[in-house]
Amino acid sequence: MERTKKMSDINHYVKEFQVFEQNGASKTPAWVHDVRKNAFTVFTEHGFPTTKEEDWRFTNITPISKTQFKYASDKLRSNVSVEMFKSFLIDGVQQHVVAVVDGHFSKELTSLLPLPNGVVISSLAEAMVNHAELVKEHLAQYVKMNHNAFTALNSAFIKDGVFVYIPKGAEVTEPIHLLFVSTSAGADQYIANIRNLIIADEGARANFLSSFRSANENKNLTNAVTEIVAKKESSIVFVKVQKESDTTYHYENLHAHQYEQSNVELFSLALGSSIARNDIGIIIDGEAAECNLNGLYIPTGKQLIDHHTLMHHIHPNCPSHELFKGILSDNSHAVFNGKVYVEPEAQKTDSKQTNRNLLLSETATINTKPELEIFADDVKCTHGAAVGGMNQQSVFYLKSRGVSDETSRGILIVGFAAEVTEKISHPAIRHHIDLLVVDHLQTKLGHTNLPEIVHAH
Amino acid sequence: MIEIKNLHAAVNGKEILKGINLKVNAGEVHAIMGPNGSGKSTLAQVLAGHPAYEVTEGTVTFEGKDLLDMEPEKRAQAGVFLAFQYPVEIAGVSNSYFLKAGLNEIRKSRGEEELDSMQFLKLLKEKMKIVEMDSSFINRPVNEGFSGGEKKRNEILQMAVLEPKLAILDETDSGLDIDALKTVSAGVNKLKSPANATIVVTHYQRLLNYIVPDFVHVLVDGRIVKSGRKELALELEANGYEIIKDEINALQTA
Repeated sequence: MERTKKMSDINHYVKEFQVFEQNGASKTPAWVHDVRKNAFTVFTEHGFPTTKEEDWRFTNITPISKTQFKYASDKLRSNVSVEMFKSFLIDGVQQHVVAVVDGHFSKELTSLLPLPNGVVISSLAEAMVNHAELVKEHLAQYVKMNHNAFTALNSAFIKDGVFVYIPKGAEVTEPIHLLFVSTSAGADQYIANIRNLIIADEGARANFLSSFRSANENKNLTNAVTEIVAKKESSIVFVKVQKESDTTYHYENLHAHQYEQSNVELFSLALGSSIARNDIGIIIDGEAAECNLNGLYIPTGKQLIDHHTLMHHIHPNCPSHELFKGILSDNSHAVFNGKVYVEPEAQKTDSKQTNRNLLLSETATINTKPELEIFADDVKCTHGAAVGGMNQQSVFYLKSRGVSDETSRGILIVGFAAEVTEKISHPAIRHHIDLLVVDHLQTKLGHTNLPEIVHAH
Repeated sequence: MIEIKNLHAAVNGKEILKGINLKVNAGEVHAIMGPNGSGKSTLAQVLAGHPAYEVTEGTVTFEGKDLLDMEPEKRAQAGVFLAFQYPVEIAGVSNSYFLKAGLNEIRKSRGEEELDSMQFLKLLKEKMKIVEMDSSFINRPVNEGFSGGEKKRNEILQMAVLEPKLAILDETDSGLDIDALKTVSAGVNKLKSPANATIVVTHYQRLLNYIVPDFVHVLVDGRIVKSGRKELALELEANGYEIIKDEINALQTA
């Protein structure tokens, strides 16, 4: 029965896949076809997950599995107005803008500043041809497809997205803004299988903002996979904003593979979509590498926002810090599952994980679960999860200064959010995130005149 | 200005204040002293309206109004101010935004016009001189990363901006070194006027060298057991709470 149901869900994609492979056959290297076919087999074998699977227990994706999302060909896309596109950018800051519209790289909307020698920022489709060896070496080498239907489906439709290569010792000073816009609207619902590959070679440094936005109210599915490779002594800041319209569906498998003495900082700001699932995995595959993973989710209405994180320590002497905060209102639902896996060789691991949730309504739901699997004996691993309402002592402090009850609550919600956005080390990107957070709280939670966020550092 | 009659208060069902009587007039400074756990801080919190404390008996009249019937923000708007023993840290929100929000609510409640950002900034800078605070604190998040001394200075700055009629200082001297203590005390003294009153809650006499009280009250087990002039504080300093042994014994056998 279960199997039959799943088959009817995937039959649609069998046809889509055949058409996709026929249409693009001539332009795509043979090895990519192999990746696609293999991935599609995995997808058809497993189908979409149900809540019977442990990793999806609290996240019911039936609205996604029951919908026959069409492949959004690049001819379909509607125009994004220049003004709207500009409103998505980091205001007042020089940035490299890499635009992807409905899953297709947009040359017209992409604008790069002068880059250091050897740095490549291009579409993945182009890179498969122009940087074939590099792409072949890394593409689809890091994320796991088994038991992950979305990643398998994405890999079956690998075609386009963003490719970034930063060569040995190079530093890109301006933020690299990856901007994914969903535009197709109408009777049909579309899927954008976005595939990104970012390679920071030895000692390379760069800061990324990855924005997922909608040009209109649509019911599309964004299905993204982003693989980041941080080689020895490289340093990467990667901040994600998910602010697609509340009617969309969103999945991303964001994966970083770190080598010795590399430093990766990831942040996930999750505001949009009807159902959004973020799988964020970091493999720390080298000694003395550091990872900081933080995030903030603010679901409202009936939104469901899920973060599943994995911090996998393989080698000794690596610190990892993780803080996720949630602000839940109305009938919203959030899921946080934080797995920390420490292999026997990973002695002196210093890992800290915290999840704090502010529940603003009695009908909001949070499922939070730390999952520690530690096989080394000389480690420092801590975790903590908290769910609660407004801190009464703080409310009292503000009110004792004459501040009204409503303003006090607004101030404290902003303060709660600021405690995690302050972890973003890049000042301009952090400011951009702060503005989005305050704007979201004002428009979605109905707070007026909220303060602009300031930070101590 | 404020009259407390037979005030009883409890936290989590445990009675802490067991019948406080106290009258403070404009222009006066009253010190509340007493051993740890005697209920000094509870009295301060109850007057400011902390929701964790339940008033079980008694009345508090502030300028003719029933103070206990008012929400904390209404008490602040009426002119009550509590300088916290442990000021709360608020990430992300600047000192100036916080203070402006409070001051403008207070002004509104008095029928005065709200200050705009420019006017407020000018006022804030003037007031910062009183507590010798650096202007960099204007845009720092409220108390976040402040040292103990900076937090207490910030409390007195808030008092300077809000200009309360009744200021209650709860253990303002705790955690201060001698220099910070002098600065904070000087700030409090500069704000003193014949029109306002101060209640200083403290465990040690040290602070009272700088903020000289007109009256001293000794609180033991939720009751004022002895009142006197400022000399009482010196006696307590010299001889400890030993000198009120008889009063304590009387309470315990009662």
